[in-house]
Amino acid sequence: MEPAAPIPQPAILLEALRKTYGTGSTAVEALKGVDMAVYPGEVVGLIGPSGSGKTTLLKCLGAVIEPTAGRITLGGEVIYDDGWKIRDLRALRRDRIGFIFQAPYLIPFLNATDNVALLPMLAGVSNGHARRRAFEMLTALDVAHRAAAQVAELSGGEQQRVSIARALANKPPIILADEPTAPLDSQRALTVVRILDQLAREYRTAIIVVTHDEKIIPTFKRIYHIRDGRTVEEQGEGLEISNDAAGATHATAVVPQPA
Amino acid sequence: MINLASRDIAHGFGRYFLTSVGLGLLIGVTLSMAGIYRGMVDDAKALLESWQADVWVVQQHTLGPFAESSNLHDDVYRNLLGLPGVAETGNVTFLTMQVKQGESDVRVMISGFEPGRPGEPALLMAGRPLTRPHYEAIADVKTGFGLGDRIRIRRNEYTVVGLTRRMVSSSGDPMVFIPLKDAQQTQFLKDNEAIRNDRNRLAANPGLNRAGVPGLLDAVEANQFSNRNVNAVLVRVTPGWNPRVVADNIKRWKYLQAYTGEEMEEILVGKLIATAARQIAVFLVILALVSAAIVALIIYTMTISKIKEIAVLKLIGTRNTTIAGMILQEALGLGLIGFVIGKLLATLWGPHFPRHVVLLTEDAVRGFIVTVVICTIASVLGIRAALRVDPAAAIGG
Repeated sequence: MEPAAPIPQPAILLEALRKTYGTGSTAVEALKGVDMAVYPGEVVGLIGPSGSGKTTLLKCLGAVIEPTAGRITLGGEVIYDDGWKIRDLRALRRDRIGFIFQAPYLIPFLNATDNVALLPMLAGVSNGHARRRAFEMLTALDVAHRAAAQVAELSGGEQQRVSIARALANKPPIILADEPTAPLDSQRALTVVRILDQLAREYRTAIIVVTHDEKIIPTFKRIYHIRDGRTVEEQGEGLEISNDAAGATHATAVVPQPA
Repeated sequence: MINLASRDIAHGFGRYFLTSVGLGLLIGVTLSMAGIYRGMVDDAKALLESWQADVWVVQQHTLGPFAESSNLHDDVYRNLLGLPGVAETGNVTFLTMQVKQGESDVRVMISGFEPGRPGEPALLMAGRPLTRPHYEAIADVKTGFGLGDRIRIRRNEYTVVGLTRRMVSSSGDPMVFIPLKDAQQTQFLKDNEAIRNDRNRLAANPGLNRAGVPGLLDAVEANQFSNRNVNAVLVRVTPGWNPRVVADNIKRWKYLQAYTGEEMEEILVGKLIATAARQIAVFLVILALVSAAIVALIIYTMTISKIKEIAVLKLIGTRNTTIAGMILQEALGLGLIGFVIGKLLATLWGPHFPRHVVLLTEDAVRGFIVTVVICTIASVLGIRAALRVDPAAAIGG
């Protein structure tokens, strides 16, 4: 009899998560009990119509707003549980969560390297090490040749790559991407998704991509559809969560290569 | 760690520098105003020091020739010389008037003195002291007159034989020194028509124009049309004597008011310049408020223009203190550059002011401290706006 495969631990686990804005008769329930699990190395899509609660969910996950009830577990550690939360949310965001935004939102007065190096520096890494790590990330994203360029000198695609490099700079176990392909054309959008997929596998990062983008929705192996504050999980074709010899979990997304 | 403030400043240096120049102009004006006040005090002290008088004797119940009208008989000095501790005395008169200088005229203070006695300007930068009893003058360079120039004062012309520097009245009018007798005549001289009328009136008075007393009318006229008054008597005390003691003796002895040199300086600085000093102080407060408003507005605008970036910085884990430090450093940088520009401008334009401007290092240090305080306070508005930014604003539209 073969030994049982170890049960993979989700990088992100949401249980019965609720969020209500306001009180009394003006209260609006944005999340009505969301359950979600995302595993290391997996890229998951989060889709839904406007006002369905996507951004609220992302903000709860990003530890910038407090849920009303439920539980959030990141990498096995409970960070929120029915009103209780961990103390240092700023350090949590800095060390364990990477953010990619709809627009790159790079710091305009820093060059590409320093935009990426800022995060490790904030975490206490020395300037030299932080810049080396930044260059490593820029190389991984194929924009190392623009390392010294000011933000205004970068093209839109280059800026988005630098912002992805910034999200990865502290090698966080979780990345939250908010409409990362919205301003891009089809080819560039697919390139970004491919990059995210590669990075997820290479760094064992769990990535949630919030999107409306019809071009990239089919590329996800697993999709959470959020509607009226509740999530419905939709399995894409061929989704497999497999364990390697070391017990690590792999999720493979079929991402079309750009023409 | 990257210095965010210096990078932000370098990124928009043109706008930042122009703002600093604007602030620098304000700081320059502020420093100049303080310099004008210092100059007024300095001028007052220089004037008094030049006369080297230990005691100023003036009309009783008056503050002296600069603050109030003071008239003494010109023979009072003889009585003063009889007092113990009095070494030298000198009569002086003062009269402010306009004198012609080419096509224009210049406002001056005419001072009459007796050569070789207290009241004579101590230091000449060019020329010589007065040697003739009449119609020679020593002028301050600020009058614009040079050696050999002729100054018309009332009916007479005076030749400039000596020049002084920094001899100005408390109002900033440059001094012209002439012989005492000429000054007395100038001060109390009536115009020809008034003299003729007075003479006719005296001649028509039977009590003063008696047929049997031929010299009476002449004696009365001589008494009426000559002036024996001076505005002050300057006293130098015998070495070893305390001017305070001598001044007290003079006050007790005759119905005169006597001030020591320090007291006269206090009258000049504390009373005559006090109103101007208050006015300058009000200006300084207004300028400080305007500077604070400008710095606050600029820093607030700079902060608001990067709200999204601040939200991102907070979202990725930047401490509030780091963001507040960035804004504070930018405000202080604005103040620092502004101060350097202001000090430079004040130094450059100072000599071109009509009044003497004294830029003291301690005033510059005080100005710098005030600038730092103003910039710190002004940055509060920007810091408050930045700290209110919700990191959640970086997520979503």
